[in-house]
Amino acid sequence: MSENEQTTIEHSPGFWSQAWSRYKRRKLAMVALLFIVFLSGVAVFSPMIAGTKPIICKYKGSIYFPCMGYYYSGWENPIFQKDKFRRVYPRNLKQKDPDSWAIWPLVYQDPYRPVRANEWGLGEDGNPYDAQGSPSSLNLFGTYKTGFDIFASMVHGTRIALLVGFVSTGLSALIGICIGAIAGYIGGWVDITLSRFIEVVMCVPSLVLILALLAVVESPNIFHVMAVLGLTGWTGMARLTRAEFLKLRESEFVAAARCLGARPTRIMFRHILPNSLAPVLVPIAFGIAAAILVEAALSLLGFGISPPNPSWGTVLNSGREKLQSGYWWQLLFPGIAIFLTVLAYNLIGEGLQESTDPRLADPRD
Amino acid sequence: MNSVPVLQVSELKVHFKIANGLFSPPTIIRAVDGISFDVSEGQTLGLVGESGCGKSTTARAILKLVQPTAGSVHIEGVQIDTLKESEMRPLRQRVQMIFQDPYASLNPRMTVGNIISEPLSVHDICHGDDQRLEVMRLMDMVGLNPRYMNRYPHEFSGGQRQRIGIARALAVQPKLIVCDEAVSALDVSIQAQVINLLMDLQQQLGLSYVFIAHDLAVVRHIAHRVGVMYLGRIVELADSDDLYQSPTHPYTQALLSAVPVPDPTVSQQRIKLVGEVPSPDSVYPGCPFVDRCPVAEDQCNHTVPTLTPGAHQVSCLVQSIDLPADSVEVSG
Repeated sequence: MSENEQTTIEHSPGFWSQAWSRYKRRKLAMVALLFIVFLSGVAVFSPMIAGTKPIICKYKGSIYFPCMGYYYSGWENPIFQKDKFRRVYPRNLKQKDPDSWAIWPLVYQDPYRPVRANEWGLGEDGNPYDAQGSPSSLNLFGTYKTGFDIFASMVHGTRIALLVGFVSTGLSALIGICIGAIAGYIGGWVDITLSRFIEVVMCVPSLVLILALLAVVESPNIFHVMAVLGLTGWTGMARLTRAEFLKLRESEFVAAARCLGARPTRIMFRHILPNSLAPVLVPIAFGIAAAILVEAALSLLGFGISPPNPSWGTVLNSGREKLQSGYWWQLLFPGIAIFLTVLAYNLIGEGLQESTDPRLADPRD
Repeated sequence: MNSVPVLQVSELKVHFKIANGLFSPPTIIRAVDGISFDVSEGQTLGLVGESGCGKSTTARAILKLVQPTAGSVHIEGVQIDTLKESEMRPLRQRVQMIFQDPYASLNPRMTVGNIISEPLSVHDICHGDDQRLEVMRLMDMVGLNPRYMNRYPHEFSGGQRQRIGIARALAVQPKLIVCDEAVSALDVSIQAQVINLLMDLQQQLGLSYVFIAHDLAVVRHIAHRVGVMYLGRIVELADSDDLYQSPTHPYTQALLSAVPVPDPTVSQQRIKLVGEVPSPDSVYPGCPFVDRCPVAEDQCNHTVPTLTPGAHQVSCLVQSIDLPADSVEVSG
């Protein structure tokens, strides 16, 4: 074949690019997707949005990135500890090195401690608390506990909220698709056994299991919660995948692949799986939303992530405790954030459903 | 000519068990109930019959997509029904299948190029650029433009899709292709194109076909020998011209009389069969066609007919078949 002919080979959009173009036409689903992308951006860049550690600073002739300490405490240069900054940068930088300069996060507030008075050395006020801690220009979403800034806590809590959804649902998708595929493809006794196993797991209430685990584990953290959510939440996806595999196993293109002598693994992964993935994608989106809700519920009950770490549920929990005092900002802002995120994932799930289901396809396609 | 037939089917039976709940015995569906035929190199055997008579099950048994209950299938002298799937794999290069529904038999998530190249990868025939060139050659051979190798099946018409299926079957250079109603889902004009393509390929490559159809005119055009199936059995097996000119079995006669003649001036003698095809889940003490047969005699109720030996095989107990007048309807 000549060079010339090779260049004229026509490409056409595959299933997923067509689904994407259908998805793009759904305005609400697109808005939801952009919102999640925005939240991911907030989660990744949270120390640059809200924090009391400079993004970048020059101190005693060297450049440092103290804000990295929010990702992992070891990434904050120990020189600041040695020079007794005591986590307060603005005043100390000026006092200890007059030639220093720094670029500050957008909002000077910290999720791990309240901002105290005179941190800039200008005699300014610290964070108010209790009834005085209502939203103001200093504390955009108000404060909770003893003057912790809600905005900063929520910005830094975004990471947990998104991570819980992704990790636990990713884990359950992996388990669910594998078990469903094996049960559906092999059938017979394997299917019967696995299906009964799925039903047993379905009967285990994940919230109770998490509470039991948190009581047993020595120092429970958010990853234990993710693991339990992942290990209990795969049943729906397993059943869907099993149903798809059962259906497609008998289809003619699978018979054709068997005629060709394709091995079972090839038939499972190259022929059946790509055709059965679209229906499983929808529960993944809904699963993320459910996981976020469970994490918030756990934090609300006080069993979630340990207090110095910020999360939306923790703020909500303190609002619940102070409900009678009428600190509405402690409930409203994290509530709205959880509501919008869960709504966005549900809209994405719905958009996926409609853009991957050929029966609902737009006649223009 | 090779003395060993490409395909030898003897006394093939495929029975399916249908569970009836825990306490009642399963119903046994006798989809194929003891059929035998040979296909020699370069020959086409047509199999015709009503729907539900076991044509497709026969095809699937030849390709070991269903396990035969009894009997044997030999491909180029190798008995395949006792082989394990791993032992069968190299033999799958010798026999391929073209499916009835060109919409369902192509994976919608794979490009045409990937569909046709899959057998090349599975059997380690060629890889990389060689594979690309081979796919282009195959597409060219079945009359598809190789430019379309990166397109998806849904962008093609039924006839084009069937060509993709043919190219996929040809990729492993088989000796035998089983065409299971390969043209039944296509328009008449497209049917002709595909059949001519199949016949050209037979000439070029020396292929053998088992051509399954319910359209007698199509089978007459392509087949060298024709077997007529009724309720899982072959009732008549003869050379194509012989069968069409002098059908012997009353069922064949009835089928042939139903073929429309595209000439309004020719008056047709139409044999009307009464009743339905009996259920394949019961065992008959006599000829399974007896309830619908216009010439049935008393012996047909309790003696099972067998195929007569010879070139024109027929399975009927009635020796001189003379259709009674009341079963013949003259129209035209």
